[in-house]
Amino acid sequence: MPTPFEVQQTANETRLAVRGSLDINTAPALAEEIDRIIAGRPSKVVVDLGSLDLIDSSGVAALVKLYKGVRGMGGAVSITGARDQPLAIFKLLRMDKVFNL
Amino acid sequence: MRAHFRPTRSLVILVAMAPTIRLSVPGTLRYRAIAVRVVAESARLVSASALRDPNDPLAHDVRHPFDTAVVSAFMEIFNNIAIHAYRRKGGGVIEIEITPTDGALQIEVQDTGQPFDIDNVAPLPSELDEASLPEGGMGIHIAKTMLDEMTYEPGPPNLWRLCKRLSTHQVAGRS
Repeated sequence: MPTPFEVQQTANETRLAVRGSLDINTAPALAEEIDRIIAGRPSKVVVDLGSLDLIDSSGVAALVKLYKGVRGMGGAVSITGARDQPLAIFKLLRMDKVFNL
Repeated sequence: MRAHFRPTRSLVILVAMAPTIRLSVPGTLRYRAIAVRVVAESARLVSASALRDPNDPLAHDVRHPFDTAVVSAFMEIFNNIAIHAYRRKGGGVIEIEITPTDGALQIEVQDTGQPFDIDNVAPLPSELDEASLPEGGMGIHIAKTMLDEMTYEPGPPNLWRLCKRLSTHQVAGRS
């Protein structure tokens, strides 16, 4: 199964692009990457969901883990590009306002 | 209604004369994508939503609100069965019966694993903020909220009944 995410590190931010389906089968690998991102104590993380087609509660949990982990260490998290089914899930869970989607 | 399910370890897709689609998959997450794909296409039969890219019919293309609701709910129920009923170990099958009608989709999902205590599912926080963002327990809430009806009969066999209807506006908008 192809990895549904890509991490790019720049001087100012960490950019995490998630694509395809973020679900119970793919979220564990992302969660491991999220642990590495949080351990790096980034000052800013941008999560690009523009190519994300599907998400389930496991995928949402992984993104919440990232959000809480980075914010808990004083960093900023920006989630962008959510559309279609993923956006509907964030709205249903009322996370769209917290994530400022 | 429940007697016609015949558990098997093989993957079987039957399209009967009546508009009912039956799918039997092993009860592990390995087969989740197959089941989700069948449910998504079944939803599309009802919503008549167009493919974003006709040249890529296997792409995840769940944009129509009806398709979104059906697929989102089903994914959570499949997860629940594979994780809670079969404890991530498989050993059983998931029997899925999908009935598309003119304005609704009904799905019955049956397993022979451990019964799930649906009454023990904690509600989401009423006021959601950064501190109360949940990291679990969202699946049943997603499924129930997305659907018009969702019932669960513990067994074994355990039986989930899911129903989603097109809104009047969506019926009028079908191509």
